[in-house]
Amino acid sequence: MKKLLAVLLTLAMVVTLFAACGDKKPAATASEINVCIASEPDTIDPALNSAVDGATLIAHLFSGLAKWAQDDKGALVIVPDAAEELTEGVKNDDGTVTYTYKLRDGLTWSDGQPLTAQDFVFSWNRSCSLELGADYGYMLEIVDGYADTQDESKPDAKLNVKAIDEKTLEVTLTTDVPYWNELLAFPSYFPVREDVVANESWATDPATYVCNGAYKMASWAHNSVITLEKNENYYDADKVTMDKINFYLSDDANNMLANFKNGDWKLIDDVPTNEIATLKAEYPDEFKVVGQIGTYYVCWNINEDILPAGADVEDPEAAREEIRNAITLLFDRNYIVDEIAQGGQVPASSFVAMGMTDADGKTEFYKNAGSSGAFDGYYDVAANAVKANFDKAVEVLKKYYDYDEATGKFTNFPSLTYLYNTSEGHKAIGEYLQSALDNIGISMKLENQEWNTFLNTRKQGDYSIARNGWLADYNDPISFLDMWTSISGNNDVQFGKGANKDLKHYSLDLTPYGYDVKVENGTWAETYDVLISTIKTCTDTDKRFQMMHLAEDMLMATGCLCPLYYYTDLFMISKDVKGFFSNPLGYKYFMYTTVEA
Amino acid sequence: MNSKNMMYILKRILLALLTVWVVITITFFVMHAVPGGPFLGEKAMSEATVKALEAKYGMDKPLMTQYFTYLKDIVTRFDFGPSIKQRGRMVIDVIADGMKTSVKLGLIAAFLALITGVVLGAVAALRRNRIIDKVIMVITTAFVSMPSFIMGVLLLIAFVIRLKWLPGNGATSGGLVLPIITLSLYPMAYITRLTRSSMLDVLGQDYIRTARAKGVSKWKIIFGHAMKNSLIPVITYFGPMIAYIVTGSIVVEQIFAVPGIGRFFVSSIINRDYPMIMGTTIILAILIVVMNMVSDILYKVVDPRIKFD
Repeated sequence: MKKLLAVLLTLAMVVTLFAACGDKKPAATASEINVCIASEPDTIDPALNSAVDGATLIAHLFSGLAKWAQDDKGALVIVPDAAEELTEGVKNDDGTVTYTYKLRDGLTWSDGQPLTAQDFVFSWNRSCSLELGADYGYMLEIVDGYADTQDESKPDAKLNVKAIDEKTLEVTLTTDVPYWNELLAFPSYFPVREDVVANESWATDPATYVCNGAYKMASWAHNSVITLEKNENYYDADKVTMDKINFYLSDDANNMLANFKNGDWKLIDDVPTNEIATLKAEYPDEFKVVGQIGTYYVCWNINEDILPAGADVEDPEAAREEIRNAITLLFDRNYIVDEIAQGGQVPASSFVAMGMTDADGKTEFYKNAGSSGAFDGYYDVAANAVKANFDKAVEVLKKYYDYDEATGKFTNFPSLTYLYNTSEGHKAIGEYLQSALDNIGISMKLENQEWNTFLNTRKQGDYSIARNGWLADYNDPISFLDMWTSISGNNDVQFGKGANKDLKHYSLDLTPYGYDVKVENGTWAETYDVLISTIKTCTDTDKRFQMMHLAEDMLMATGCLCPLYYYTDLFMISKDVKGFFSNPLGYKYFMYTTVEA
Repeated sequence: MNSKNMMYILKRILLALLTVWVVITITFFVMHAVPGGPFLGEKAMSEATVKALEAKYGMDKPLMTQYFTYLKDIVTRFDFGPSIKQRGRMVIDVIADGMKTSVKLGLIAAFLALITGVVLGAVAALRRNRIIDKVIMVITTAFVSMPSFIMGVLLLIAFVIRLKWLPGNGATSGGLVLPIITLSLYPMAYITRLTRSSMLDVLGQDYIRTARAKGVSKWKIIFGHAMKNSLIPVITYFGPMIAYIVTGSIVVEQIFAVPGIGRFFVSSIINRDYPMIMGTTIILAILIVVMNMVSDILYKVVDPRIKFD
């Protein structure tokens, strides 16, 4: 009896202990939604943020001059937000363009103070200041005066943006760009208030988080949940249907799935890779695959010599280009997408990703890429073209390497090393590439490095072939092209660096576009860098896009970029949620959602 | 407490401080020797920006200067500095936030393991070779051999997805139940087996037989004589158990999305968030050193035969 009593007592104690843990759970009613897009954001300061999950939160909390929205037909559009309208720019004599915006009447911050044009002036200068050191400071590159702000010797340099009066903002751009309105909807251009951000930790505590968007921050339990509540001070508050959003913070895809399956979370922005096939079958209406502007690719180090020892070729770089391009043809991208990645990705035949539009703003840029009329892009990725591609590649390689007809293998291809960052998915793709090359006698070792080490190695050009990927920040092909100039920090291929720096091998002829530029056998800096800076100052849309095609042609001709697939954004959303949308950058919008109870 | 004991404790404290200093020094230099840095990302920052940030965080100074500045801040103000990755937050605040949950999780799990382990162990010993003993032994063998990440996932599938009895998110009410159970099963099973064998050992001792012969009641023998002595090995296990729970919680917190400190051990290293790496390592080192010290001192308190030296 006593024994039983002791056991019961212990049990009672344990139960009491359990009851003591945890807080009250916010129940998801129709005017409240629980979602999980990622773990604790590094920052939700609009200027400092560079992550997609942070941007989603910021898009709910702040209102820039413009915003992403869905029109009546469900199409994504950029519409005025804090600005009354998105005006046309006025060209100045020096080629710069000036835009003047009127702010809406009665705009206020979440604490009730009035919002003025001066707040925008302050915020934009802050976003790109060296002192702040934001990852995305370069998003303001297009604004006149930006270059000076990046010069340490000019500490007082400011952007060419002025508050004409409390409600009028005037900004001058170095040149007109078609994606300007989209930039205005980007977090780096959102307003923050000077006295608020003077406190360096303002964005980590709801008490000091003053914003101007559709929502305000009600609470932030670090690493567990951020709760947003409708901001009644927002000018368009009447149209906001969702009163409260609980952003749960988790980075474990299995945990997210468990919470989605038991109905607690209505949207999860990640799923376990090995469950994708099952989920697609089990949840056909809830498993979503949407396009994302990005390319998964393999990059070569241009300074890696892949010619056989003692090879006697007239133009070694031309030979290497031909070899690299041949190797690009060896891979079956449909297999990679269908059997390995499995997330609805699209086989890639160009570096500039699917989702980028051409000059008309409608046609896909990649469909006009390359010179073939038979397929889109630079090579045919159709399943039935695999054999022909393979044969073509082998024919090219035979010109340079010894080929054993009996075994169908090359015997003197130098061995390669494929560098990737530690991850099951990247490894699986690496193994596929390895086996495809092994088929024709090319041996490639796989080497994985932990993420940060990998970034460092790749950036330093200390590799022969590496995994790579790029996601655009705005819908304009230049965001895929300007990263390859010889001075760019993202130039992992090392174009115009190391041995390639002085190599006079590239040509550029811009006379057809009305520029007095014609270079034959110039360096990368003399050609590609010039082309990119010309594109950046070109104001004729058609010519600008033609030159961007030219830039991609130059890149692809080097064979240093081997695109594998265009990225997709995978997420799961409950059938009960209506009115949800996401944009091509992956931001998710919940303000106009309703949940059917 | 006599002066000899005081000397021993003082010696242990000095040794603990030395250990922590060694940990700080090794971590600091190894961390900076590893390739990469906090300002690397998929999208590169401009050189001017990186330079400005390095100056902001004092990383433009020679490494030795940085080391001594860091030591000085730790010793004089217990200041771990700001997190580089989580802009605007101080390392100490991030750690304190996570510790609130992790300590709650760890303490309850440790307490649960201790209570149930001792009770089950005693029951098994007193009912030796009977059916209840065998059942307890089979179950504890299973728990001892099953890693926490498997146990956690099994519990998640059963109670969260299938039965929907408990939430799968550690941030919600009741969300700590499953992580606590997951975390406590291994030490509970271990303690059960420890208690059982030491209890059996104690029950066979002469002084128990003497007590029985003198007619002392059965319960008084068990609780008054046998229990106390059979707990000595359990106390020696206290230090390793805390270490297990702390490190085990890294995995368990991940599985159940518990807002603890566990994730920062890994994420701070991936991000090269230097102040955060130092902060988490120092806190963990202090925790383990202190727990081992407490365990050693308790040992002496329970068993006067053990001498400090």
